[in-house]
Amino acid sequence: MTQAREVSDFDAIVVGSGMTGGWAAKELTERGLRTLVLEAGRPITPERDYVEHKPPWELPFRGLGDRRSVAARQPMQSHSVSFDEWSHVFWTDDVDNPYSTPPDRPFYWFRARQVGGKSTIWGRQVYRWSDLDFEANLRDAVAIDWPIRYADIAPWYDHVERFIGVSGQAEGLAHLPDGPFLPPMALNCVEQHVRERIAARFGRDRVLTIGRVANLTAPHHGRAPCHYCGPCHRGCITRSYFSSVNATLPAARATGRLTLRPFSIVRSLVYDARKGRVTGVRMIDAKTKAERVYTGRLVFLCASALESARILLNSGLANSSGQVGRNIMDHIKWGGASGQFDGWTDRRVIGERPNGIYVPRFRNVSSRHPDFIRGYSFQGGAGRAGWQAALRAPGIGAALKQRLTQFGPWTMNFEGFGEMLPREENRATLHPTLVDAWGIPSLHIECQWSENELAIHRDMNVAAAELLEAAGAKDIQPSGSGPSTPGGTNHEMGTARMGRDPKTSVLNGWNQAWDVPNLFVTDGAAMTSSGCQNPSLTYMALTARACHYAVEQMKRGDL
Amino acid sequence: MERRELIQWLVATAGLPSLAFGRQIHRQPLRRSLSGHVERTLAVATERILPGAAEGNVGVFIDKMLADWHTAAERERFLAGLPELDTRCRARGGRDFVDGLEADQVAVVTALDDAVTALRADRGGAVANQHWFAMLKYLTVYGWCTSAAGMRALDLYPMAGRYDGCAPV
Repeated sequence: MTQAREVSDFDAIVVGSGMTGGWAAKELTERGLRTLVLEAGRPITPERDYVEHKPPWELPFRGLGDRRSVAARQPMQSHSVSFDEWSHVFWTDDVDNPYSTPPDRPFYWFRARQVGGKSTIWGRQVYRWSDLDFEANLRDAVAIDWPIRYADIAPWYDHVERFIGVSGQAEGLAHLPDGPFLPPMALNCVEQHVRERIAARFGRDRVLTIGRVANLTAPHHGRAPCHYCGPCHRGCITRSYFSSVNATLPAARATGRLTLRPFSIVRSLVYDARKGRVTGVRMIDAKTKAERVYTGRLVFLCASALESARILLNSGLANSSGQVGRNIMDHIKWGGASGQFDGWTDRRVIGERPNGIYVPRFRNVSSRHPDFIRGYSFQGGAGRAGWQAALRAPGIGAALKQRLTQFGPWTMNFEGFGEMLPREENRATLHPTLVDAWGIPSLHIECQWSENELAIHRDMNVAAAELLEAAGAKDIQPSGSGPSTPGGTNHEMGTARMGRDPKTSVLNGWNQAWDVPNLFVTDGAAMTSSGCQNPSLTYMALTARACHYAVEQMKRGDL
Repeated sequence: MERRELIQWLVATAGLPSLAFGRQIHRQPLRRSLSGHVERTLAVATERILPGAAEGNVGVFIDKMLADWHTAAERERFLAGLPELDTRCRARGGRDFVDGLEADQVAVVTALDDAVTALRADRGGAVANQHWFAMLKYLTVYGWCTSAAGMRALDLYPMAGRYDGCAPV
């Protein structure tokens, strides 16, 4: 009967403790709300769970991964770029958490169930949107218009960036606004050369800059600067990159108003039809499988785009528009090129910079491309291959050992990240029979690229080769691969979009459900278009903005 | 069970249609004399491929990979190929690989490496990498490069703790 004494009523309930759940927890508790955060997965203790400094020889397979276990339990999760023998524990078990797709249309749904969610394993690249993005749907007559513009979100970008700490170089580009950056990480010698050559050839039209990344280059709010060990996706004992475990959840905890409940899988929302409000959340204890209800005046869904849509669909709520689960977007990748550079043979890189270069979008900015609308950015970098390039090299004995210590030529690569258009037929629905290990109906996901994305993908190879050619690279190799699998960039979004009209959107301009005023959805589900920027910064800014609005409404008695 | 025991058992049962792990292992004590020979052979061969392999505990790594990572087919191919070291060495001086002269051991390993290189040129990397000697060499090189000794020698450990994108070599 000890459970009966546990508090079950809160001012606010936040579903999910990751990128946006952490922000909701921080903003709501700091504004005085007693807030319950429900996290489906286990608790994370950095001193116990972070493994970024564990050397390969302490792992059973020295970094090659537990091939049999991965094949049996994580065949989908293992496609993520940040999945490895160290980090695999930060991804879900595909057997316990199944989903389906048409056999000929794979979709990668990467999921992280633990306190911190995917903020522990994210790529940390953060770029602001501009009105080039917020006005895009209206301009192109695609889907529906965003209900907000850059001016609405700009102060919240400031707010989020000041807290998380973003290192980067101000470039003064109107379509990729600068922020209050910490000192930029350094370009290496070849990247600096390529930046200068691209500037000489393309002027301000194409700019190579250092990535804007949520890794600290100076002490920041009690967190230490990056020490360049490299594999951030395995954790960071010095809290040098932003994650909810490293930053927002401690801030929320410091208010004394946070209750964080791990192993809490939300089945559905509890709705009072008479009041037209959600009154709480029905969850299942992941370990005991006991079901219980928590009540709250406000509910924030921050469970990730597809998971939040799944909760809405399983609740039968907020869907009078029929748009819940639709308009799935990701970013198309695997287009680009690489090339070699003569020279700098007496130079090498020391340390592992957890960041690369960035070339902001240049297509359809000041000119019009004939083959597609929207555009893409490039990420990438230069370096010299080490022992990995000699693993299959001919030779044995002392000569082979010598070869392993030598550096290869400098090579540089550009990899595109292209915008995906929202289309209603790219959708997730409740599977009629498939359930997860807790008996909760899972999703059937149908999603594929359209001709616009495929045209963008083709152009990536061409433009990347142009950049390398301008920089004087040799042996330029366009990417040989076809487009990535949808979902594979881990930027899934759009499944409960914001809009101006309740008939065509799920959320209003404050991430508030049109149908249920005390319900907010602030993760990637809210996105009305996808831009080509890495999206987490925008999710965080929207979350902080929505929290501010919700609390103001509450104070006025409207919620 | 110790890993070294497992590799012994694997060698003993190489060629059986399916390999089951667990209690069965203890029913194979008579085969140990066979596998001790293979373990010694591997110790010498890895050292000839990459001097210092032993200090990287490469043998333990290969044992683990064969037991728990590679498929049964890959494992069988590897273990079926390994006696070629003895065959080739005996052809040169009448002795098994482990008892051969260092010059003969080097010659045997070089010839096998050349054979894999030729296969790579003729039929591509995917086919060449299936060769049992390519497996042995890969496991040896990868194992050493990811060992404490190897990472120190390659200047990868301990970490620098800083970033310099234009440092002297």
